[in-house]
Amino acid sequence: MKTVEKHQHMDTPEIAARSVGARVLRSEDPRLLSGRGQFIADIELPGQLHVAFVRSPVAHARITHIDLSAVRDAEGVHLAWSGADAAQFCEGLVGEFAVEGCNPTTMPLLATDEVLYVGEPIAVVVAETRYAAEDACELLDWDFEELPAVVNADAAAAGVGVANPQLPDNFGLRGGASFGDVAGAFEQAHQIVEGRFYTCRVSAAPMETRGVIADYEWASKSLRVWSNTQMPHFLRYMLTAYLGFPEQNVEVITPDTGGGFGQKAHVYPEEMLLPLLAREVDRPVKWIEDRRENLMAGAHAHEQYVDIAYALDATGKITAVRTHALGDGGAYHAPPWSMAVEPWCAVVMTPTGLYDAPAAEYTYAAVATNKTPVGAYRGVGYMAGTFARECLADEAARATGMSPFEFRRHNVVPEFPWTNPQGIVYDEGSWRESIDVLESMVDYPAFLQRQAELRAQGRYIGLGLSFFVESSGESTAGSQEHGLGDVYHDTATVRLSPNGTAHVTIGLSAQGQGLATTMAQMAADTLGVRVEDVIVETARSTSHAYGSGTIGSRGAVIAGGAVSRAAGVVREKIRAVAANLLEAAVDDVDLVDGNASVKGAPDTSISIAEVATAIYFDMSSWPEDFDPVLEATQAYDTARAMFSNGAHAMVVELDPETGFVRFEKVFSVEDCGTVINPNIVEGQIRGGVVQGIGASVFEELAYDESGQLLTTTFLDYGIPTMDVSPPFEIHHIETPSKHSASGVKGMGESGLIAAPAAVLNAVNDALTPFGVVLRELPLSPEKIRAAMSGATESAAPQVVAP
Amino acid sequence: MSATPQERLEVSISINGRRYKAPVEARKTLADFIREDAHLTGTKLGCEHGVCGSCTVLIDDAPARSCLTLAAQADGHRVRTVESLTEGQELNGLQRAFREQHGLQCGFCTAGFLMTATALLEENPTPTRDDIVETVSGSLCRCTGYQTIIAAIEQAAAEGAADTQKHDEQEGDVL
Repeated sequence: MKTVEKHQHMDTPEIAARSVGARVLRSEDPRLLSGRGQFIADIELPGQLHVAFVRSPVAHARITHIDLSAVRDAEGVHLAWSGADAAQFCEGLVGEFAVEGCNPTTMPLLATDEVLYVGEPIAVVVAETRYAAEDACELLDWDFEELPAVVNADAAAAGVGVANPQLPDNFGLRGGASFGDVAGAFEQAHQIVEGRFYTCRVSAAPMETRGVIADYEWASKSLRVWSNTQMPHFLRYMLTAYLGFPEQNVEVITPDTGGGFGQKAHVYPEEMLLPLLAREVDRPVKWIEDRRENLMAGAHAHEQYVDIAYALDATGKITAVRTHALGDGGAYHAPPWSMAVEPWCAVVMTPTGLYDAPAAEYTYAAVATNKTPVGAYRGVGYMAGTFARECLADEAARATGMSPFEFRRHNVVPEFPWTNPQGIVYDEGSWRESIDVLESMVDYPAFLQRQAELRAQGRYIGLGLSFFVESSGESTAGSQEHGLGDVYHDTATVRLSPNGTAHVTIGLSAQGQGLATTMAQMAADTLGVRVEDVIVETARSTSHAYGSGTIGSRGAVIAGGAVSRAAGVVREKIRAVAANLLEAAVDDVDLVDGNASVKGAPDTSISIAEVATAIYFDMSSWPEDFDPVLEATQAYDTARAMFSNGAHAMVVELDPETGFVRFEKVFSVEDCGTVINPNIVEGQIRGGVVQGIGASVFEELAYDESGQLLTTTFLDYGIPTMDVSPPFEIHHIETPSKHSASGVKGMGESGLIAAPAAVLNAVNDALTPFGVVLRELPLSPEKIRAAMSGATESAAPQVVAP
Repeated sequence: MSATPQERLEVSISINGRRYKAPVEARKTLADFIREDAHLTGTKLGCEHGVCGSCTVLIDDAPARSCLTLAAQADGHRVRTVESLTEGQELNGLQRAFREQHGLQCGFCTAGFLMTATALLEENPTPTRDDIVETVSGSLCRCTGYQTIIAAIEQAAAEGAADTQKHDEQEGDVL
């Protein structure tokens, strides 16, 4: 496996932890709590016009006639475009993925000849008010001839119908690889455990929908685009690459953002259209997505089948794993990731997990269907892969007569560093320890006793486990370890003011993770100042620091590394002047708690504020050849791929009357290395796990046979509510990374990655007396009731003798 | 009385103690009136079909979905929004509890939770955990997993933080 060559921007300074590790309250909160946050819908530009879209009401059709004249004549309308109008400026966004077997697609900004999914934009209207724009949308005169809709991944893979004419055999992606003697292991297996698992189609459904505002000023050719994107710098790049706006004149501004979870980590047709419309009407234009549009046209997620098999020896050790994933990709590759993100990630990133499997083989495929394109959602691909692996681990435990803890302990990787069959190197972790810790947290013997007692009373509780290894801090090294060639690096700028307070900008936009607080903690400890003396601006504008996107649990690691490196440069300036003032050697000067002091002589000290003031205003304080700049911009990327780990256990009770799953309690173990702020880490765990509960039990974007989307409101698409969300017990283990600043690792996705397997395993544990094993999400009341009444056809573990 | 959707009606609504008078289209929602006409953007729109609760405001002290209420329906009534909660330039007890318990992440749904909890604590200053869950379960949050929101409302109740001082109306036309 190719590893990245080490560069200087991969080293970070060593610093004393003062605020890192503390439950620092968030600096973001007073604004957000008092209604003073500024989200995209809250921004009003003088003279702004409003945009609304006409979207396809059918899954697959040929447009036979489209006439915008009534729309254009409507009161208050300034402009209306169909696909042909938009195509003059941009033929569409190419979606592809740099792995073997990917067939690209081009997604038009507005459909031209065919519509390929319900919700695909057909026309766009610019009007004085949103009310007027939506009124005018109703006047569109168009006809279409319906075509057969492809709505099932298996049918698409079998070549039944064509969902998108650009992919004549429906395959957007197909490939695979094998490492070690997989065939031999399966031939010689004592037993084989296998199953086909299904993760249903869901939406990230951030509480704030998408939105774009564009303002073009022709005299200076300058374009300002407000978007609640997770990738402002990439969006700016795309606006130049696709539309030709000169990059130096393009600024992308990301206001406060109401959750993203990956859905806002794409480049969408709407983000390309608004700048074109602004230029055309010579007024600022604003589009705020409504919830119906968000559920129809914001990237969908998760839908795939994962076939997984373990070869086990006579002792129950895994000798090989085979995985095949088939993703239902929707009508197009969603740029810039593509329909590969689910099935490719699932099989490449997750098959071994924490188990010492010596051989692995995988194949992946994604097919086009007449549904909304599938994209990223928190732990993309990792969720389905972890779901299949961890649910199969529970089935293997039953098949070998071991407890689910025992089976995992029997198979866990014994020591680090460990290289998995694909050649991915894991430097450290608490994989074994996490099993022991979780077992003691749930008090397994007591649980088994309670379960037996309740069963005797006709009540059915279950315990489900799920262990994860999460690739964290999406980096160049991480990308290369997984066979990709993506380059990621971010910058941060740190500036110290004359009064010794610091101003920090980072290249990542924030969606609610508290990055302004955690990055202030990183900067404060490096500079030796108090955390309240640091202000952090996340990527509010592409005019500031550069960032590769708030994706892949990279905020703490990558932005944190850049902040630490930039602060480290400023730190050396302070030490140099402090040493001069204190008549000490630079190496003897330490910066802690707002003071520069001489090691071993704590009384010989001077405040950092005094040093900063001297640097700005007193040349006599300077050492020879001193450059008084107290500002530094530095890049960061990790030298190696790094991985967090942990687990969740869930206790559920099934109601035989209603089929409802009641969530009694969640136990979580998280090892993300050094914890910057436990409040924020725990918030990420709870939020992610409850999203996982949603994706397992409550949520499904349902289509009928004609490809009609049936779930376009929050009444039909039910995300978890307070009354169904369980309490948590969270345990932190800290195994610091040797490579990141302060030893931090990313952890933003593990909740959603691992929770669904814990849910299904808990439900299947509760269903044991009924002899039924479920493998498909969502675990709807109908399925649970059927399972408990004996009406479900049993899918008991397939234990095959060699 | 019936009006076409585009017909303009004169409304007079007290928001956070200030009176706002304006001619509005009959179809204009209270949420849009608050955000666009009164320029109070703390009230958020998460679904515009009455499910998510982000737009919850208090109309005559009772929680209401401002996305499902027409501005014309609020004519002559008293409305309170999240902007009314702070005590001068300080967070009030409930807001402080949300901060201390990490009861918000992105902050988009927060105004709805704060207003629903405010109404609960004004009516019942000592709610049980079940009271809180039953009352506040009508609001959606996608970030927190809810436990810290429950803890925040419990903390506010324990500290007796209910802002029971309802604002006296100031006279004078703003619009």
